[in-house]
Amino acid sequence: MTKYIINRILGIIPTLLIIITLSFFIVRIAPGGPFATERNMPEVIKRNIEAKYHLNEPLIQQYGRYMFNVLRGDLGPSFKYKDYDVNYYIFTSLPKSIVLGLWAMAIALTFGMSAGIMAAVRQNSWVDYLSMGVAVIGISIPLFVIAPVLQLFFAMKHKWLPTSGWYTTGEGWKSVILPAVSLSFAYFADIARLTRSSMLETLRSDYIRTAKAKGMKSSTIIFKHAMKGAMLPVVSYLGPAFAGIITGSIVVEQIFRVPGLGKFFVQSSFNRDYTLIVGVVIVYSVILIIMNFIVDLVYAQLDPRITYK
Amino acid sequence: MNLSLRKSEEQAINEFDQVVVGNSLTKDAWRRLKKNKMAVIGMIVVIIYSLLAAFAMFLPIYPYDQIILDHRHLPPSLTKNAGTLMMDARLKDLYFKAWKGGSLIVTDQQSAQIKEWIALNETNKVWDFCLAEGQRQQQAGTFTFSAADQRTIDRLQEKIDTEFLINVDKVFFTDPQTHKTHNLAKMSYEEVLKIYADLLGMDVAIIQEQVQSEVESQVLNNYKATTPDLSAEEYAANLVLELQALGEKGVSAIAKTNVLGKVKTNITRTAERELKREISEGSAHFPIDRQIQINSSIKADITATKKHDRRYYLGTDYSGRDMLSRIIYGGQVSIAIGLIGSLTSVLIGIILGSIAGYLGGKVDFILMRIVDIMYGLPYMLLVIIFMAIFGRNIMNLFVALAMVSWLTVARMVRGQIMSLKNSEYVEAARSMGASTGRIIFRHMVPNSLSVIIVYSTLRVPAFIMQESFLSFLGLGVQAPFASWGSLVGDAVNGMTLYPWKLIFPAIAMTIFLFAMNFFGDGLRDAFDPQSKNQL
Repeated sequence: MTKYIINRILGIIPTLLIIITLSFFIVRIAPGGPFATERNMPEVIKRNIEAKYHLNEPLIQQYGRYMFNVLRGDLGPSFKYKDYDVNYYIFTSLPKSIVLGLWAMAIALTFGMSAGIMAAVRQNSWVDYLSMGVAVIGISIPLFVIAPVLQLFFAMKHKWLPTSGWYTTGEGWKSVILPAVSLSFAYFADIARLTRSSMLETLRSDYIRTAKAKGMKSSTIIFKHAMKGAMLPVVSYLGPAFAGIITGSIVVEQIFRVPGLGKFFVQSSFNRDYTLIVGVVIVYSVILIIMNFIVDLVYAQLDPRITYK
Repeated sequence: MNLSLRKSEEQAINEFDQVVVGNSLTKDAWRRLKKNKMAVIGMIVVIIYSLLAAFAMFLPIYPYDQIILDHRHLPPSLTKNAGTLMMDARLKDLYFKAWKGGSLIVTDQQSAQIKEWIALNETNKVWDFCLAEGQRQQQAGTFTFSAADQRTIDRLQEKIDTEFLINVDKVFFTDPQTHKTHNLAKMSYEEVLKIYADLLGMDVAIIQEQVQSEVESQVLNNYKATTPDLSAEEYAANLVLELQALGEKGVSAIAKTNVLGKVKTNITRTAERELKREISEGSAHFPIDRQIQINSSIKADITATKKHDRRYYLGTDYSGRDMLSRIIYGGQVSIAIGLIGSLTSVLIGIILGSIAGYLGGKVDFILMRIVDIMYGLPYMLLVIIFMAIFGRNIMNLFVALAMVSWLTVARMVRGQIMSLKNSEYVEAARSMGASTGRIIFRHMVPNSLSVIIVYSTLRVPAFIMQESFLSFLGLGVQAPFASWGSLVGDAVNGMTLYPWKLIFPAIAMTIFLFAMNFFGDGLRDAFDPQSKNQL
């Protein structure tokens, strides 16, 4: 196991290097540069600007320079925003996205797992149909419909919760509720469905029948025996789900005006702000790789049948 | 009934006179699926939707991309036609202005109510109230419009009564020498050009030159749209290349389409004059479907309908396109993206995931590193860059989405295979000399099918949602094409003012996704081999 962990951690380093390389070149293959929108720029000024950002050097030299800077922890200057560098923009906005994502994840996990387990235990009863119905609603209605509708109902009509903002502004923790709930809806649905289907499968397995035959209490069977096995698909879903929540928060951040990382990602892609795109991609990648790593470890802990050689 | 028939064919195999009938997995699954009511309803709904989408072009609906600017933002109505709705909208506006100007007198209480609505942004309530109140007062004789307002109303009424849409279906040319009639669309470019020149009474050479330069600028514009940011010289050089690539045939095909369009516009104008005269004489009866003679040699089949007689059962969008047909055609795009996308991604995922899970070791490590790297690149970025390089069209959307979405399936399949590969039946198969491919695809994949099926039914809605997410950010399906996602995305901004634009596509989408999910769940319960004898 220890050897496996060390191997995985060593494996992360080349993965990251490949990601940086790939995103560096992919962004530059795309037509249009960061200064393409400023039309009719005199040739001299254009050349000066390109020289300032080293865009006039051969691509391979730019790549070397960038790689060297990244290894020192410097993600470079932004091409569009002149006031601060990429590090500043990312590390002021990233915590907000992560906090929002964690809240959404917590909500989705708590409600999703309990709904899924109840549905599986009482299969084909009204509990099953109700929780799966809610789950299907969660899957069926897009985020950007749920979010404005919640905003309209809870914030504009009844004024129970603030329409927008963040911890630091105005109403404090209350402003997290709406974005987190609307963000978690789709993941709640997925988790509930996955829990139900794997729980059903586990409940039919032999060791559960043995436990039943021994006359165990059904609550003990469900929480002690079945849960552990039924968690497996949910756990393997969590890695990509976290990725989805972080990127999916782009829409939520737009609607609820949360000053998170999502805004920079979309804007910089449209602007071809090379350093900011690659910077955001690197940060996302690090988070996702770490999440997947943790998921793999938890997976192995839960399922003794899996052997890592 | 079936059983008794079988009994006569089968031989009893044991002393209890029992007959064992062979049962395949699919037959068994189908039997169990039929028991599940929700799944059957879901399947039927999915089939109806697919049929509607597949045969959309044969349905009696308006074209989904026909823009009528007069019909912008019309609310849905089963009974009123577009003209009445236009008039209603105008009247609402005028009554509201009259209230503001003080000529429409309401009680203080009502006035306060209106002000409260305005403060709450409830525009529709204010308008509806003004319309009802204004019409009541006008009937009672306590309110009349000012002369200017009345003129506006009269002008609109005249417009509603007289305007019509002409469509030129076919143009025929009768050769004066041979007296044979040809369809213009099937004639060659030179002939069409000559007919057009005759129609205008101009020299062929001048028109040919003009058409040629039009084609060039058309090709240039297309090229500029796909690859922006080049210098003028580069564009000039590339234009020559593009024209060469098109060849003589391609160029004349474009030119012919252009000229044909011009001929039709010309005919439309003539027909318009004629119909207007008929309307003023009072002899026109809509809808019109007939052949008119333009000059001695040209005839045309035209259809004309009254423009404001159209009915929009689900309202119109921001440029006056019919929502009903946009939702149906949007369904076509969305369902196609959902089905094709998830099929490809699940196939890729199964193959790579099972190979990684079964072979383990180096293969597993390399494949999972690739998956990790792909996970590390947020799919939004890949899709944005992909669309930017290859242009924003539906085909690219398919490819971009399928390319990045097989990862989760691969991981899940790998996890399943890893937990199955130490089981006895796999060992048994291996010891009997089954090949790796056979063990994977005949033994292990069917046994992890339940998870795969649940996941692929989760994928179809997820694909539709991803597409709508991209459309929301302006990267998905581009107008005039529609998908449910782009329709919803377009509607979100004006949702308090024009709720129908959001509600109908959202309902259409939700019902389909609902059905899809229940159908998928039913399939799961039916196909799960481990639950075979427990239902």
